[in-house]
Amino acid sequence: MKHTLYLRLVLILALLGLALPVVDTPCLAAKDTLILAVGGESADGYDPTRGWGAYGNPLFQSTLLRRDADLSIVGDLATSWKLSEDRLTWTLTLLQDVKFSDGKPLTAEDVVFTFETAATAAGQIDLSSMTGVSAKDAFTVVFTLAKPDITFVDHFITLGIVPKHLYGPDYARRPVGSGPYKFIQWDEGQQLIVEANEHYHGDVPAIKRLVFLFTEEDASFAAAKAGKVDVIGVPSSLARQNISGMRVHVVKSVDNRGLMFPMGKNEGKVTPAGLPIGNDVTADPAIRKAVNYAMDRQALVDGILEGFGSPAYGVADNLPWDNAEIRIKDNDPEKARAILAEAGWKDADEDGIVEKEGLRAEFTIVYNSKDSLRQGLALAVADMLRPVGIKANVFGHSWDEIKTQLTHANVVVYGFGDHSPQEMLKLYRTPGVEPMYWNAGFYSNPIVDSYFEQAMTAPEFESSLSFWKKAQWDGATGFGIPGDAAWAWMVNLDHTYFVSECLDLGESQMEPHGHGWPITANIHQWKWTCK
Amino acid sequence: MCLCLGRIAAIIATVAVLSFVLVSYSPIDPVDAYMGTRILTISPEHREQIARSWGLDQPAPQRLATWASNLARGDFGRSIIFNEPVMDVIAKRFAASLWLMAAAWTMSGVIGFGLGVLAGMYPGSPLDRGIRVYALTLASTPTFWIGLLLLVVFAVGLGWAPICCAAPPGVPMDEANLLQRLHHLALPALTLSIIGVAQIAMHTREKMIEIRHSEYALFARAMGESDWGFVRHHALRGVALPAITLQFASLGELFGGSILAEQVFSYPGLGQATVEAGLRGDVPLLLGIVIFSTAFVCVGNLAADVLYWIVDPRMRITEAL
Repeated sequence: MKHTLYLRLVLILALLGLALPVVDTPCLAAKDTLILAVGGESADGYDPTRGWGAYGNPLFQSTLLRRDADLSIVGDLATSWKLSEDRLTWTLTLLQDVKFSDGKPLTAEDVVFTFETAATAAGQIDLSSMTGVSAKDAFTVVFTLAKPDITFVDHFITLGIVPKHLYGPDYARRPVGSGPYKFIQWDEGQQLIVEANEHYHGDVPAIKRLVFLFTEEDASFAAAKAGKVDVIGVPSSLARQNISGMRVHVVKSVDNRGLMFPMGKNEGKVTPAGLPIGNDVTADPAIRKAVNYAMDRQALVDGILEGFGSPAYGVADNLPWDNAEIRIKDNDPEKARAILAEAGWKDADEDGIVEKEGLRAEFTIVYNSKDSLRQGLALAVADMLRPVGIKANVFGHSWDEIKTQLTHANVVVYGFGDHSPQEMLKLYRTPGVEPMYWNAGFYSNPIVDSYFEQAMTAPEFESSLSFWKKAQWDGATGFGIPGDAAWAWMVNLDHTYFVSECLDLGESQMEPHGHGWPITANIHQWKWTCK
Repeated sequence: MCLCLGRIAAIIATVAVLSFVLVSYSPIDPVDAYMGTRILTISPEHREQIARSWGLDQPAPQRLATWASNLARGDFGRSIIFNEPVMDVIAKRFAASLWLMAAAWTMSGVIGFGLGVLAGMYPGSPLDRGIRVYALTLASTPTFWIGLLLLVVFAVGLGWAPICCAAPPGVPMDEANLLQRLHHLALPALTLSIIGVAQIAMHTREKMIEIRHSEYALFARAMGESDWGFVRHHALRGVALPAITLQFASLGELFGGSILAEQVFSYPGLGQATVEAGLRGDVPLLLGIVIFSTAFVCVGNLAADVLYWIVDPRMRITEAL
């Protein structure tokens, strides 16, 4: 009898191990706590001077200026901002009764400290155009620039102000600021817990406590299905699903994907690092225009993005500096064929591909092989080009290969999208000898450059807008489709979220490239509508 | 013992140099990984500046020399993705992984050994066949897949287990109580333990059968010892030997397996940090983890040797001679 007892014990132990009965812990989230799975973990911490919060918002810190729901610039910490006659000096006046969440006042000293720290941090913030920053008095800050640069205003919008008296090596992991929420705890790789900042200078947020979960996509989705999450960012492929108690929330974005064309002919030239430059086929503007006209962008949106997106025509669609005149009627193979014929491209050997002076209209589109979305777009576009007589061969490569071998001589699928016209400048201004991502196609047009110059030296940001628009198309030239058609932009992605039916998100801002965290840009306005 | 430690040091040095060479051929550019699409917001000059601040402007051999000389002084360098000393990152992450690995290790040892003894006691019986099928199935199934399956059944379907993390959402890690921690540990630990169970069970079973056919087994039975009495008084020691070897040798696999288990269950341990370090080209952190895990595995093997010496008197006799 003794054995059977042992036998049983061993068996029970083994079974216990196989199917551990687990107790369900009670749900601790009360109604004033929201649980969000929208990413936002910054592995190196929450220090704005190293780049935290530049996409979306820094949450713990506030910025000098910010963009409202329709992306106009409004004051946050600053009440007024002026650029001098010579465009080299910015003077900003600060709100007077702003406090950090520890109760200490925020003054010009803190702003100066923040910008000086960021300038030397070798982080994600590039303040090289700033030559100096100083406090004129307790609430006036003066910035001096090396040369006129209207896009410097971006730093006022994105750089969160840190407290000089609390800043130290530990700051990134224990951030303190004057933003709508204050830091409570960060369990790295797992979650971030924040609470409303009662010292916030705007309206104190209605939702008292937020928990950001840093889970993988699948785990987040499973958690949402189990009803444990109130807001979750999902890829568009999941957005057609149903989650009980949640609705789909779709936010427009400038998260775009486009084809970059090498602009020059292949004359055997290489960059100093040895990368070949130029492509004989795409150097012909007729080819680039034909691609733009032949492409059916709406079909790309419907087919590849499951309908969650919009056709893209430029690098900055629907942003304040976007020129709507570059929009064309695409999905027009007739027009594409006419453009090719007019430029002398004919299918003499009747193989379905047009030629000109012995050169076949054939090029390679490369994409980052890790990215199935880019692959889908590239393949679909290649199919759309075939009927007009252009052969595009699509290849996936590692990003490293693209960057170190292919980028200046092939058509490349890129994705960008930022709340700043600076991006346009970096992509279309005459590049240096080794451009890398910065204008990889070696696009260069002196008239476009002169519009950029005028935009950069504009007296204020609003008056720079017309020059950014003219750089795209001024009626005679520009980098947009009617002009040089330097790129063929394909789609803008929509960012999709599931949101609790009880949560009112207010008006979401059009989002930049990042999907997830930017939804929190107006988080201080969110409201819980159920009891 | 001195010889052992010397050998461990040599192994660690070799592994470190090899890893460095491999990593220096990795196609990942840490600066690009760090900037992501925000690369356009900085200038090429600033990009250089970031690379310089990480020492990436130096040629690889020189970087290795600098790194090795710092290491000799006990300085593992600074992780570029976490922007803090490598040792701090490892200490923090390993604290979480340790729970997971300890639980999985104990489970695989106890369950594997128990099943192996049972199967070896009654070879050919339905119980034995059941255990063998179970062990072979586990041995031929990828860990991450088992993890996903467990997640689907117990977390999503039945709702018994949490879906992720090491503590309930909204409860700070240091305030989570033991029950909550264990609750979140259960599925990942179970998944991870599966690596060890099959091996230990099958080897123990073989050894058990061998011992049951030995002469001292026959003698014990002739003295009137019962099945379980024989196991307890005569067989356990002998059977334990292969189990101990495997159990300690499995530390390496446990380390590797924890990377998968932590990914599947979003468990914030060293495994997650390893994946991040690899994907984003964080060489100091990756090398730090490699050295740390090498040391961990070596110490495991050393422990097995020491335990041998304790468990098996024959070892002591050989050494005394």
